[in-house]
Amino acid sequence: MRFRLKILFMMLFACLLAATAGAATDAATCLSCHGSMDGAAGVNKDKYEKSVHGSFDCVTCHMAPKGDQHTGLTGAPPDKVVKEFAAALAPKGLKDPLAAAACVGCHPDKVEEYKGSIHGQNVIVKKSTDGPVCTSCHGIPHYIEKRPSMASKVYLFNIVETCGKCHEEKHIIEKYKFSPLVMERYKESFHGRKLKLGHAGAPSCASCHGAHDIKSTKDASSPVGSVENKKKTCSKCHSGAMEKFVAAITHKPLHPVAHFAEIALIILTVGTFMFIITHVLLDIFADIRKRLFRKGGDHHE
Amino acid sequence: MNKDIPQEIQRFDLSARIQHIIMFSTFLILSFTGWGLKYAYVQPSSAWIHIWGGPKIAGIIHRVAGILMLLDFIYHQFYLLNLARKRDLRLTIIPMPKDVVDMVHNFMYFLGLRKEEPYFGKFTYLQKFDYWAVYWGMFIIGTSGFFLAFPVTVSALFPTWTLAWAWDVLFIMHSDEALLAIVFILIIHFYNEHLRSEYFPMNWLWLTGKMPIDQFKHHHPAEYDYLYGKGAEKKK
Repeated sequence: MRFRLKILFMMLFACLLAATAGAATDAATCLSCHGSMDGAAGVNKDKYEKSVHGSFDCVTCHMAPKGDQHTGLTGAPPDKVVKEFAAALAPKGLKDPLAAAACVGCHPDKVEEYKGSIHGQNVIVKKSTDGPVCTSCHGIPHYIEKRPSMASKVYLFNIVETCGKCHEEKHIIEKYKFSPLVMERYKESFHGRKLKLGHAGAPSCASCHGAHDIKSTKDASSPVGSVENKKKTCSKCHSGAMEKFVAAITHKPLHPVAHFAEIALIILTVGTFMFIITHVLLDIFADIRKRLFRKGGDHHE
Repeated sequence: MNKDIPQEIQRFDLSARIQHIIMFSTFLILSFTGWGLKYAYVQPSSAWIHIWGGPKIAGIIHRVAGILMLLDFIYHQFYLLNLARKRDLRLTIIPMPKDVVDMVHNFMYFLGLRKEEPYFGKFTYLQKFDYWAVYWGMFIIGTSGFFLAFPVTVSALFPTWTLAWAWDVLFIMHSDEALLAIVFILIIHFYNEHLRSEYFPMNWLWLTGKMPIDQFKHHHPAEYDYLYGKGAEKKK
């Protein structure tokens, strides 16, 4: 009942707006309803205004909001590029494909890179729902922040987690035949550890694999797709990187030799640990015993 | 009793004491800075590493301390050579079959199966272990650390068939053996030289180099007898 009332009220309100102001389509108009909604349709006004797109009208991206309540609240009609990109993203089954494609209006170069990437190809050509779109990596579109911000999903220190949303998923790893434990192996490497500690020079996933134009590592055009490209990529930080050096990082599970070396060293460490603990405890015991029962009895002068 | 017996006995000369100070300072710095990286995913690793000036500075401190420790170790070898040249070097630190006997005796003493403490020489088996542990550490941790610090240069030296595991092995060697060293020092060394009731809060020997003769006679009876006891005249 309350829901119906709400709808009714909104419709009335929308009609009123449409009738009076000649359809004001600034963000404030939309936020007067969406600003107090919960769930996917709700927009936090403060966070939106703080975001990099905070000065935009909603209809810049939501060019044609559906439903009667939005009558008269439309933006400029989408141009051909946006329509094409929206059609390309159709396999994802997004709620507002035009809005999801609207990025292309200002970022055509990035979208062009994306279209050629393994991520873009997966959606556009293979028509898979697995592939990411802009917001999969950049986060909720209303709250996108500039990259050097801690709140950005693609901030250097957040990228690993962002990639991990899919690349750590077991079914994705199996479906696309990634190296098992790929993320884990990165995280326990020196690169991963340094990044975790906040080393600005440490590489994240994107530092080596690329971002919008990311390619499969099996693709020779990937920055890590061939020995030659690996040399170039590694030498961004490790000058003089040659073939034997670039073989170091594979993200593959621990080689048996390393695995058994680790076990041997753990046995050695735990063994030594047990021995010294026993030794010290017995020593303490003997010391206390001596002090209690043989006080002064051990000096023979 | 021999009248020449002094009140205190010189255990370590000034050079040895300075070597020890450099060794333990660099050891502590290396442990503190390395710990943050080893347990990067255990909070508060980031806060801890920021005490050391952030990951970049901590890395530099770690490398500098590593080089200092290595130099200290190399210096020690020349120190030994110099002692040998002056015919002042006795091989009392070399592990001997007697150390096994001492250890068995010590455990028997611990368990009340023997009344007497072992007839220890100049260095007990634990002290020998402690001393040679540094060699083991320098070999395992020092070498792997040096390799890890210069990955491009070192890659050229490695045969191709080792590349699939060499870096993981080096990393495991470096971090696991460092943990072993830390645990060993924290337990054996801290107990024996700091927490032991007769030394608490510490055995001042590390600064003075000297040990009171009673203590010496009690803890190193074989060495005492060698220096001042029966037959000491003959050996001199």
